[in-house]
Amino acid sequence: MIDDLCDGPSEEGIAIAMFYCDFRDQREQTATNIVGAILKQLVVRGEVLEHVQEAFKKAKKEVGGRGLRLPDMVQMLKQAIATLPRVFICIDALDECIPQHLLGLLVSLEDSLHESPGTRIFLTGRPQVHTEIEKRFTGSVIVPISPKVHDIERYLEKKLEMDTESDAMSDTLRADILRVIPQKISGMCVAESLVLISFIILH
Amino acid sequence: MDNAAYRHSISIGNNNVYSNNVTNSHNNTVNVKNIIADENPEIMKWLSPLDSRGRHHDVRTDRMDGVGNWLLETSEFREWRSYEGGADKAVLFCSGNPGVGKTYLR
Repeated sequence: MIDDLCDGPSEEGIAIAMFYCDFRDQREQTATNIVGAILKQLVVRGEVLEHVQEAFKKAKKEVGGRGLRLPDMVQMLKQAIATLPRVFICIDALDECIPQHLLGLLVSLEDSLHESPGTRIFLTGRPQVHTEIEKRFTGSVIVPISPKVHDIERYLEKKLEMDTESDAMSDTLRADILRVIPQKISGMCVAESLVLISFIILH
Repeated sequence: MDNAAYRHSISIGNNNVYSNNVTNSHNNTVNVKNIIADENPEIMKWLSPLDSRGRHHDVRTDRMDGVGNWLLETSEFREWRSYEGGADKAVLFCSGNPGVGKTYLR
């Protein structure tokens, strides 16, 4: 999706920032750090935007180099966004954030969105974070994602092409795999199905 | 390579630069204008210890062309992307259970 945005028609002044939440990094993925990671992607255009440079210099002068707080970060994000006509922010796997950080992140995004009609936000997550998103962004559009038979077929074909033990494969087996698995999978969670597929291919 | 860090942010628009980056480096940047190498690692570190580049590279490498393309054809995505819905439709949320392929949507 991100690559698609990048491959789109050339247009000046569009920026994309993305972030992948990961439960393995939950402790470090605080709202402040996530907003910071997004901001990092929007502030360098040849050189770092001036307002960020200034804030950095100021923070450095303070004893102990005070760390950034969320409101400071959001303020800098808003200023960075204001310099761009169009900004796409994409955040994956919101449910992998600790609830408290997720809340901080959504509130910050809501706040940044208020003043910038040129911003689009793309979020993914398990259905349980839906309520929180709706609360923050009225009018947000929800697209339910479920495995598509076509995607599964394509995935299988690619995996079969890459099979290192192709001698063990016959045309009949191949045809059976491509016929049976996509049918069986509908309604099943893809993670489970991919394990199943890998198992079949490897054994 | 390190001083090429953080170049990935920037604007959409120059497809030539984009493909060069993809083919010959592990910058794996999303898209890039040809900008000066980053002089500000200290500021970047101050802003956040987190970095999306590594993960995006992994996702990019693992994903398969064509898988998840259906999303791009939906009216929801098109409206969101083209700003047709206005400010009210600024947020698009893809909801699904673990492993359905949200990360790899294209």
